[in-house]
Amino acid sequence: MTDMTEPRKAFASPVAAFRRNLQRARQGWLHLLLVPVALLWVSPLVWIILTSLKTRTEIFHPEAGVLPAVLRFENYPATLTVAPFGTYLLNSILVTGSIIAAQLVTITLAAYAFARLEFPLKRFFFAIFLLQVMFPIYATFLTNFVTLRDMGLVNTLPALIVPFIASGYGTFMLRQSFRQVPSELSDAARLDGCGHLAILWHVYLPLVKPTLVAFGIISVVVHWNDYMWPLLVTNSDSVRTLPIGLGLLAKADSGADWTRLMAGTMIVIAPLLLFFVIFQRRFVDSFMHTGVK
Amino acid sequence: MTSNPARLRRNEALLAFAMLAPSLLFLALFTYWPIVRSVWFSFHDVLLGDPEIFWLGAENYTRLLEDHLFWKVLGNTAFYTLVTVPVSILIALLLAVALDGKLRGLAIYRSAFFYPVMIPTVAAGMVWVFLYAPGYGPINVALESVGVPQPGWLNNSRWALPAIMVMSVWKLSGYFMLILMAALKLVPSDLHEAARLDGVGGMQRLIHITIPMISPALYFVTIIGVLHSYQVFDYVHVMTQGGPADSTNVLTFYIYQVGFQYQDIGYASTLATTLLLFVLGLIGLIAATLGRRVHYLGER
Amino acid sequence: MATVELRGVSKSFGQQGAVHDIDLNVEHGEFMVLVGPSGCGKSTTLRMVAGLEEITSGRLFIDGRDVTDAPPQKRDIAMVFQSYALYPHMTAYRNMAFGLIKATTLSKAEIEARVREAAAILDITDLLDRRPKELSGGERQRVAIGRALVRQPKVFLFDEPLSNLDAKLRSRMRGELKRLHQELGMTVIYVTHDQIEAMTLGTRVAMMSKGRLQQVGAPMELYMKPANTFVAAFIGSPEMALLPCRTEAGGRLVHAAFHSGIELGRDLPREVILGLRPEEVSLSRTGMASGRVERTELIGAEALVEVILADDRMTVKCAVSEAPARGETVALDFDLARARLFHAGTGRVIERNLESSRIP
Repeated sequence: MTDMTEPRKAFASPVAAFRRNLQRARQGWLHLLLVPVALLWVSPLVWIILTSLKTRTEIFHPEAGVLPAVLRFENYPATLTVAPFGTYLLNSILVTGSIIAAQLVTITLAAYAFARLEFPLKRFFFAIFLLQVMFPIYATFLTNFVTLRDMGLVNTLPALIVPFIASGYGTFMLRQSFRQVPSELSDAARLDGCGHLAILWHVYLPLVKPTLVAFGIISVVVHWNDYMWPLLVTNSDSVRTLPIGLGLLAKADSGADWTRLMAGTMIVIAPLLLFFVIFQRRFVDSFMHTGVK
Repeated sequence: MTSNPARLRRNEALLAFAMLAPSLLFLALFTYWPIVRSVWFSFHDVLLGDPEIFWLGAENYTRLLEDHLFWKVLGNTAFYTLVTVPVSILIALLLAVALDGKLRGLAIYRSAFFYPVMIPTVAAGMVWVFLYAPGYGPINVALESVGVPQPGWLNNSRWALPAIMVMSVWKLSGYFMLILMAALKLVPSDLHEAARLDGVGGMQRLIHITIPMISPALYFVTIIGVLHSYQVFDYVHVMTQGGPADSTNVLTFYIYQVGFQYQDIGYASTLATTLLLFVLGLIGLIAATLGRRVHYLGER
Repeated sequence: MATVELRGVSKSFGQQGAVHDIDLNVEHGEFMVLVGPSGCGKSTTLRMVAGLEEITSGRLFIDGRDVTDAPPQKRDIAMVFQSYALYPHMTAYRNMAFGLIKATTLSKAEIEARVREAAAILDITDLLDRRPKELSGGERQRVAIGRALVRQPKVFLFDEPLSNLDAKLRSRMRGELKRLHQELGMTVIYVTHDQIEAMTLGTRVAMMSKGRLQQVGAPMELYMKPANTFVAAFIGSPEMALLPCRTEAGGRLVHAAFHSGIELGRDLPREVILGLRPEEVSLSRTGMASGRVERTELIGAEALVEVILADDRMTVKCAVSEAPARGETVALDFDLARARLFHAGTGRVIERNLESSRIP
């Protein structure tokens, strides 16, 4: 027995060492390739930050160099005075918060019905939900605008919210998670005296928290950043969101005041990037295992 | 106190419909009614804010066939979609393969490639306007320093659309990369090891093992890419307003122009209906070609 | 505690797990085991008693009350599931208390008293603050039983509760369940596919196959007097040997490898199946049958010898010291007085008095 293992050990170690070296060499090459690409990818962000700290003359001066001569933070307060970013921020929070809150209610109820209840025409209704994913905003924005105009909702916060309350995608995602809850758990809950709503609340929802968080993150990113729809239905500062405010600032400055504009851009992108840095794992997992809609 | 099974079943169905009701209400109001209405409008003369509408029959559609701008816009849209989606996926695939495994600094690389997904399209568009700016924009400054001629980028009808496409790739690749990374994690490592023992090289392994194994994810990403291409509206609106000379005008933006700037809701609805058919057709085509092969490969 | 009566209970859906016309009375304080292979309908039957499955036809009475259409929480039953079905996000305490909170009007103090009492009986008082994830398989099992105990139901239902435990733990939990039943005198319906569980736990055993009841009786009754070949083959380990034989005029049995030599009875059908338990067969020098040894397993105190008789095989027990080697030819003696005969066609046992047919 010992005779057998000894040579094998002797044989194994050079192979392992070779593998380790190969691994190390491969990693070296990869870094050599990846570092420049990563720098290229990050450079726009770096450019935003650097520019927001420069003076206007530095931008256009050919000899000024890439780095700001002195770090100037004046551009930030300056931006806040030219546009009501506080109102925009509040609106963004209200709109995104309302959308996600309403979505969580609608998708939870619908997903439970699809996952655990039997009713006539179930497949037809499910198809109606799924097809929504295929009919994105460009097919509906025109007539939705007309509808909201008819309702007198244009230029109000509800106009920014109502088109997004039903989510076929979210319903689908949550239904998949609900179906993975063992059916014995809902049997046990029935024996414990729970009806469907109690089972949903006490058993299903606590168990699918990760899916709810993932959907929440994706939905927040999409609606926080949305540009097209708010652009159409808002025409006064009291209801505008951050992306619209930034777009307006760009138009007002007509590209001349890059320092102030980049400070504004920083203000708009900072909240999500900050969350991303803090909850990186959560964000990455959410986007990794699900698609954005 | 007792209740018979038939009544139980009816109660269950009633509960189910009550639970679907909120979603169905909003789906009907803001997804299905607008689509029906937009098809209806496409056969009418409708002006924004004018309650009166007039039946036109197929006139909007014949107008569309003769509308040179429409054909140009359709071409731009097709060019944009058919280039950015595959290129983004290719870059995403290469990045995902490079980052697969225990690479040091993985989290940093991942963030570096993914963060553009988090940035609002309008912010991204603006930064790139600056990056592309003639004269003082860093891209042109860099090109000048190595002596390469600098096109006007967004001011040049030949380079404006490709310039927007480059930035789309930058913005979207990171997202596709994450999805593909998740798929790569599920590829059993013994497959690779077996192939390596058989002396199959890296590139061959990528083509013959990795790509077939993650084909469902590639398929998914393709569909998402096509659906996402509507985002180009934001870029065009922020960066070029469709110019110069409509070289960056794409369908979504053209619909917006016709509907909101010319207030011609009828014709805009015709365009929207056409775009919907275009996208559904494209997705149907992808499903019929790629989809079939994916399902075949998916059944391991 | 209470009685359960199933009167012609049937369930039809698809193929698997359909149940046909079950008549079964479970007495007060009885430990009734439903046993059978997977897909025989035993779990479906239990779930119909629980109210988790609709009863297609027939009636169900618990303590004399017709509960055929009553929802689960109105049946005064509690159930322990195969996977335990503990709520993963709740502590053991809350898992046990949840049903009391939802379905009863007990005060917080009363609930706590009940949970503590059950926990003391099951020896899990120290685990009450833990979540299922932090418990071992056996501990989860106890919490699941505790959840049923605190309800103080009329009937306890168990659905293969031990099948997720390892062999050692399973035998310990078996002992514990037996103790609980004896101490608390509860009425139990217990589903299992494991005949050892059925034999050791049940005061009576109901054997099911293909959606039908095959036999109901005390464990030893099923063991000694199986109603058909199905019960005969299922109960007992190692299995009963079932040897197809022809009968000759006069009642002698002829098998391809032996003949009985004695008359076993008159009016036997032409084709019968002779059923022999391993302990009814012995190795001898000059037996009535001889066969080739296929395999010998030493399982400790004794050996199991698998012998091939023409196209059939049977297992024989013997002392380890006497165990023959593989390939050896051995002679076998059958204790035909204790053996059973079954109809070859229907598999039903042939009622007869073996004593009387014995030739002195």
